[in-house]
Order: sequence, then C-alpha cells, then structure tokens
Amino acid sequence: MLGYDISWAAFNIIEVMSASKFTFKRIGYLAASQSFHEGTDVIMLTTNQIRKDLSSPSQYDTGVALTGLSCFVTPDLARDLANDIMTLMSHTKPYIRKKAVLIMYKVFLKYPESLRPAFPRLKEKLEDPDPGVQSAAVNVICELARRNPKNYLSLAPLFFKLMTSSTNNWVLIKIIKLFGALTPLEPRLGKKLIEPLTNLIHSTSAMSLLYECVNTVIAVLISLSSGMPNHSASIQLCVQKLRILIEDSDQNLKYLGLLAMSKILKTHPKSVQSHKDLILQCLDDKDESIRLRALDLLYGMVSKKNLMEIVKKLMTHVDKAEGTTYRDELLTKIIDICSQSNYQYITNFEWYISILVELTRLEGTRHGHLIAAQMLDVAIRVKAIRKFAVSQMSALLDSAHLLASSTQRNGICEVLYAAAWICGEFSEHLQ
Amino acid sequence: MIKAILIFNNHGKPRLSKFYQPYVNTQQQIIRETFHLVSKRDENVCNFLEGGLLIGGSDNKLIYRHYATLYFVFCVDSSESELGILDLIQVFVETLDKCFENVCELDLIFHVDKVHNILAEMVMGGMVLETNMNEIVTQIDAQNKLEKSEAGLAGAPARAVSAVKNMNLPEIPRNINIGDISIKVPNLPSFK
Repeated sequence: MLGYDISWAAFNIIEVMSASKFTFKRIGYLAASQSFHEGTDVIMLTTNQIRKDLSSPSQYDTGVALTGLSCFVTPDLARDLANDIMTLMSHTKPYIRKKAVLIMYKVFLKYPESLRPAFPRLKEKLEDPDPGVQSAAVNVICELARRNPKNYLSLAPLFFKLMTSSTNNWVLIKIIKLFGALTPLEPRLGKKLIEPLTNLIHSTSAMSLLYECVNTVIAVLISLSSGMPNHSASIQLCVQKLRILIEDSDQNLKYLGLLAMSKILKTHPKSVQSHKDLILQCLDDKDESIRLRALDLLYGMVSKKNLMEIVKKLMTHVDKAEGTTYRDELLTKIIDICSQSNYQYITNFEWYISILVELTRLEGTRHGHLIAAQMLDVAIRVKAIRKFAVSQMSALLDSAHLLASSTQRNGICEVLYAAAWICGEFSEHLQ
Repeated sequence: MIKAILIFNNHGKPRLSKFYQPYVNTQQQIIRETFHLVSKRDENVCNFLEGGLLIGGSDNKLIYRHYATLYFVFCVDSSESELGILDLIQVFVETLDKCFENVCELDLIFHVDKVHNILAEMVMGGMVLETNMNEIVTQIDAQNKLEKSEAGLAGAPARAVSAVKNMNLPEIPRNINIGDISIKVPNLPSFK
C-alpha cells in the first residue's frame, strides 16, 4: 500500500485469505487486491480458495471474494473461475448477483472466450427485478459495446425500451452514452433517438443527464449530417442549452458546455458563430481548463476582420501564462489559427512575420520548429514581403546572442536556422 | 471505467490509494504527479482536469473535490459521466460521514481498512457498483455486525462500550426485584 512493494508477503496474504473468520478473510482479500498483479507467482494458489469462498453459504464471504478478485484477476484465474461466477449471476441474493455481473466484465477482458456462453445470461440480467443488478448489467454491456460496437447493435431495441421506462439517472446516462457510441454505425437508430432525447432534454432536472442527452444528440446529428432541414431545430436546441450551461456561474457546467460546443463546431460551424462573444469572454476566465477549451473553439470563430484582435489577445495571455505547457498550447493555437486554410484569414503578412518573431522571444518553447517552418513558408510563398522578412531575420540574427541562454537553445536554434536560410536565399534584399 | 481513486491531504500525503489498473512501479509517482496538478488549482475553478502523463495522458480525466484538508481524486476515462462522478464523490464522502460520525482526516489515517471496505461497496473493479447511500450503509452495518459477532474475547471492550452507550440509565432502577421483596425506588432524575 502507499506504493511500496510488498510482494515478499504474497504467500502470507494467501494464508490470511484462507482464514475462516470473516474479519480476517476480508483483510486478506484487501491486501491481495492492493498488492497482487499478473506477475505475482503465487496467485494460482488462490484459485481453490476463491472457489470455496464463492460457494460459501455466507453472502459476505462471497462478496468479499468477488470484490478482491476483481482487482487481481488473471487469465488463468478467469478461465478457472468463469463458470462459478456465471452460476452466481443467478444467485438468490441481489447483493451477490450485482457483484457477479460486474466482475464478469473483468473476466471477459482477461479470458474473452467466456463471453459467448455468458452473454445470454447477461442479457437476462438487463431485466432483473432488482435495480442494482439491472444497472450493473447495463454498465457491463455499455463497456463491452464501447470496445466493439458492432456486436451490440442488436441490443439497441432492448436498450431503447429501458431508456423510455427507467427512472434511475445512472442507468439512463450509461444507456444514452452507449447510444452515442452506436449511432455512427446505424443512422436509422439515430433518427429514432432524436425525439425521446429531445423529450428528456426538456423534462429532466438533472444537469448530468441533460448534458449527456445533448452530447448524444450532437453525435446523432453529426452522423446524420446529410443536412436534413428539420434537424436544424435540434441543433438550435442543443446550442441554446449549451449556451445556458456556458453562462452558468458553476465552472464545471461552463467546462462541459465548451467541451460539447467544440464537437458541434466540427460539422456545424455556423451555429456556433453567433456565440463568438461568449467564447471570447471565456478566454479571459481565470480557470486554465476553461481557457484551453475556449481555445479549441477559436478555430471556427476567426474571420479576416477579427483575426488580428484575437491574436493580440492571445499574445497578452502568452505573456501572463505561467506554465510552459499552457504557453506552448497557446503558441500552437496561434500558429494553427493563422495558418489554417492556406492563410485564408491573414490580410497583412508583415504583421504575421512580426508576430512570429515575437513568439521566438518566448522562453523555453518546444515548438521552435513550428515557428521556423512558418517563417520559411511565408517568406518563400509571399514575394511581396521578402524585403521586410529579410530585415526582420537579420535583426533577429544580430540579437541572437542576447536571446540565447542554455534553456532556450532548443527552440531558438531552429528559428535561427530558418532566419539564416532566408537571409541567404534572398540576400539581394540585405542591406 | 474508473482507473484510480486517490485521497491525499493538502501536503500531498496519500490517505487512500486504490488503483484499478496495473500501475506496478509507478504508483508513488502517480500520486505525486496528481497532487502536483490538483494542488495548483484555485478554489472556484472547475473540478475537471486532464490526467497527467503517467496516468494515461489526455484520454483520462481527473475529477476531484476538495474538502477542508483532503483532496478526493477520481481518475476516469471517457466512458464515465463527469457530473455523475462528481456526485459519486459526494456520496462517498457522505457515506464516510455517516459511518464514522463526523469524519475527519484522522479517521482515514487510523481506519484505512474501514475506508477501503466502504469504497469496495461503491466501486468494484473500476466500475460503479452502488450509488444509493442507504443501501451502502446497510451493507456496511451488516458486515460490521458479522465482525463483532466473530470477535470473541478480543471484542469484549468494544461490546462493553456499546452496551454502556445504549444503556438507558434513568429507566433501570425503577423496580428492583430481589426474590419476594419488591423494593420501589423513587424516580431518579436524569443526570447528564
């Protein structure tokens, strides 16, 4: 525990696990779950002990064995114990059923051949009378489907029924997330989903559920982006709800709203355009996570007119930024925004070159090669500014000895290389 | 799936660490890295962070809550709902509060096994088992009773303590029967 290695105690832990008293057994299994892993040699000695505990008359013995096993199950253990666990899925006590269903996921991961025989029983558990067992079954199938969506499309009608009848928020969230993963494969499913999802959006009071519904509607609409006109209403609804989330004072909701907006941006940039002011406001937020999300959204926001002002704002952030990762992130974003669509939005290339030179003066950047590539690109392709570029480059080379210290050398040297190349190539403009 | 659950205090000392993925030699580093990321956060910023490199990078999110001196951090991947996990942290802390009666950091230090047992009723193998606090507390109470009944001689002091706690002092001396002689004792005032 606490990260120290206790593999020398593995055998002793197994002895404690085989104690008859529940108190000791529980402690043994806890120690095992914290320290056993696939490399533990003695782990196969536990097989029989676990099997005995799984068939114990006391439900808590079984429970503690299942919980412990879920942390250290290996392919061998999974193969040997799969049958016992499958029988437990139909145990009389819901407490055991719940745990058995949930551990089957781990067993499937380690021993995939167990999936086929266990699957019919797992499907039955989706309609188990106990809500805990039902939500465990939903959980397992959702995880399986995320790994391999094609095989679980046939379950979609069953999940649809569950979605419309269940009131448990966790189950609903899992099912809706699952549908989000399935819709890219089956557009007809998407069409059917839009209506119940929009109903849920209007009726639910739980923010978590609302957010997941919006997310899945976005996924559906992206997969259906054949541009059917009546879906623009759904997009408007989503964008509207997301705006409410972003305007909320709760930072978490803001973060999630921005995250979802960036998904919409990829396929429906126009819908997001109208909220430009809100995004720019988020750029000034003191929360770094939110600023990063807002940066992601900036791609769709730029136009010829506001590019300069946005970049100026980003440069002030660069000066204020404390962490180098955030600074690097900003730098990449500035360059990406400016250079997107073949420099579509830049009207004044001289201004762009001066921005690049200013970025060079940043300390400890890892993206020197990006700046260098940009300088070369612009200087070669835009004949008109070559004279200006060369004068800037020679100024940079002259002052290089002032800029370079040992920490900055990585970023600077690539830019200096580019600067020298430009001066050499277009030396006719040198004074 | 939940990849890891960490509880550490304001100085980065781990109070509970439960990993659901086999991070064999890097556990301490992960705790240090996570503490580093989380402690830089201001009080009223959002509770979501990208995971550090050791724990899986940007595919995994760190969802954390800060209560007094403790940080509760859940490292999850994209299959979990962020707001749902925030709720789960809340349920976990409330359950700890109920089981320990006004839980504080010392309870976590001296009763790590109990905290692990409570956590085991909520999250199993990285997946959420139960979110209803009453259900969890019922199971924990039943298991505690089982432990107590097994305790034998070693459990005698604990049993004496709970017997005294449950004793209803003002009621007892009202009717003392010694064989045939029945003595009626006046009502003793309740003393606190």
